[in-house]
Amino acid sequence: MMGGESRYLGLAYVAPYIAGLFVFTAIPFVASLYLSFTDYNLMRPPRWAGIDNYVELFTRDRTFRKSLTVTLLYVFMTVPLKLAFALFIAYILNYRLKFINLFRTAYYVPSILGGSIAVAVLWRYIFADAGLVNMLITAFGGEPVNWFGDPSNALFTITLLRLWQFGSAMVIFLAALQSIDKTLYEAAAIDGAGKWHTFFHITLPLITPVIFFNLIMQMVQAFQEFNGPYVITEGGPLKSTYLLPLYIYEEAFKKFDMGYASAIAWVLFVIIMVLTLIAFWSSRHWVYYAGDKRS
Amino acid sequence: MKRMMTALAVVLACGTGAAAAADLRMSWWGGDSRHAATQAALKACGEKHGHTIQPEFTGWSGHQEKVATQLAGGTEADIMQINWPWLPLFSLEGDGFADLKAFADIIDLSQWSKAQLDSATVNGRLNGLPVSTTGRVFFFNKATFDKAGLPLPSDWGELIAAAAVFKEKLGEDYYPFDAQGGDGLGAILNVSLVTTQMTGKDLVDPETNTVAWTPEELQKGIEFNQNLAEKGVIRGWKTVAAGGNVSLFELPAWSEGKIAGSYEWDSTYKKFNDPIAEGSLVPVDILTVDGAVTQGVYRKPSMLFSISRNSENPRAAAQIVNCLLNEPEGINALGDTRGIPASRIAAQTLAESGAIDPNLLQAHKIVMEAEGPTVSPFNEHPDVREIFADTLEAVAYGQISAAEAAQEIVDGVNDVLAGF
Repeated sequence: MMGGESRYLGLAYVAPYIAGLFVFTAIPFVASLYLSFTDYNLMRPPRWAGIDNYVELFTRDRTFRKSLTVTLLYVFMTVPLKLAFALFIAYILNYRLKFINLFRTAYYVPSILGGSIAVAVLWRYIFADAGLVNMLITAFGGEPVNWFGDPSNALFTITLLRLWQFGSAMVIFLAALQSIDKTLYEAAAIDGAGKWHTFFHITLPLITPVIFFNLIMQMVQAFQEFNGPYVITEGGPLKSTYLLPLYIYEEAFKKFDMGYASAIAWVLFVIIMVLTLIAFWSSRHWVYYAGDKRS
Repeated sequence: MKRMMTALAVVLACGTGAAAAADLRMSWWGGDSRHAATQAALKACGEKHGHTIQPEFTGWSGHQEKVATQLAGGTEADIMQINWPWLPLFSLEGDGFADLKAFADIIDLSQWSKAQLDSATVNGRLNGLPVSTTGRVFFFNKATFDKAGLPLPSDWGELIAAAAVFKEKLGEDYYPFDAQGGDGLGAILNVSLVTTQMTGKDLVDPETNTVAWTPEELQKGIEFNQNLAEKGVIRGWKTVAAGGNVSLFELPAWSEGKIAGSYEWDSTYKKFNDPIAEGSLVPVDILTVDGAVTQGVYRKPSMLFSISRNSENPRAAAQIVNCLLNEPEGINALGDTRGIPASRIAAQTLAESGAIDPNLLQAHKIVMEAEGPTVSPFNEHPDVREIFADTLEAVAYGQISAAEAAQEIVDGVNDVLAGF
């Protein structure tokens, strides 16, 4: 049984976190829900507007529809590609190669740099009309591509930036691959199973909990993407990279329509929550846990 | 007895309008030269009047958001550098900032013209003092025009004709001008300028607070801008977007002279001129279209110094504002880091000391001598800008016609104006 003093000491340790949680997360979270039902421009007290903001969003706001479509497209394109790529690299790095630790570190470096402004600026130069990628394409006799100026290419270019930062998902996959019992592979080899067969029937099922974890994390992060499109294309051309976080930012801090921005933020939150719940529900059918009788 | 004497001294001090030593804050945006100059000016003015002033400075990006958040929380600096188009956003009723007329005994308001003070007045309350007046002016890269064997253009016709010569003599990637893409500002200002020249009217009719241009008039302005892109006078929107979100003056094509002109704020002359590799930019008189009713100069107060309505020491803040704008300590320290000063005494002091860049002086002269209708701050309202930018981009990408765009802009801007 914990003594009174120890209990208070524990509380004292967590107090800064609890205070931060309230001040920077919980209170703004609740406040934004309230503000989403108001007309609030920062300079005047919020004025109750009922569901006007939501009605405007869903019935008249063409920009919202466009931005939502672009966001969903971005997420559905980015998340599977990133998971597949991270798993592919993790699979390779799981072999006992010479200098393997060096390779593992090198592949993780882009994720340390993260979605920083500096990397986004670098990306802008690499894919600019006279950038490195077009120089390579023309060197091999190809036609330069308008990566940012063509609405059909711009979102793909932003997606590549996110893909490039596959390191964190890769490290988690690598840890999962290394935890698979080697005797299973030996048994499969004795039974004459090929590499593909082993991968799909042993490796993949055993790492489904990690795939599920990465899926949720990457999906939530992708919905919150801001730096890349803001720095590289500012949401253009023709709003083809205008993700919802950019729209929220512009409504809140360019037009000071905090009520409307809060409403968009809440719609985004509900979308993320619903998709997360769907993922959890579907996980019963495809995620296998060791010792779980359903498995 | 001693207490009585102290109390008497305080009463007398208050009665004569003197401000006791105060701790103040001042916020502004700008580049390195402005930051250094302003800090030196605050030190000099602080020492002169016995106050300490804490500087709070950033670059342009994000400064409006910072000020908005501070104003909402009542934590803004005592003295603020405010962008003129922010007045309808932050002080719609005129009570967003302290009324500087209340400090007329401290600030020498006679250094500004009535028109200048009116431009900073909302609902009869003087919300700030114009630091400088700025306007859009045409700059051209003389070295590139020399290589093409052309004089600098004096009207739109000559500029359009220059495009073909540039392509023939210098190469397909040479453009005599630039007004497209990115956030769409170049295109917006170009369309607005040409439409104003053709109609003699600003975008907003101040009498009715509605769009002054008919859709047909605006359509001509949009078509004019489109024509510039089609004839290779300016880069097309798609070409500009291909370079990503980069400012014109950061482009190698700009420093190399391949893009040889632009229409920019006179106060930004140095920023655009500094990267030029060969020769320098030359400001020219505002280009006009055939049959122009006016030069249509886009002139406005570039920025204001305002005092917080929540300041605990507004009289001390007023002393510092007056020092920065009207007293030699402030004037000499600030120099031309905010353009040519609007205060008469400051402009005269700097002119006499030869502290102003001659090209900047020339650009400013062009702006001040040109004529045109009064520019409404709604031209720079974020909603208005967004409508223009989105619609002009759609035209550039061939999604809608110029006629449809003109109708959309007129309707959209009228909707925005109806909210005021």
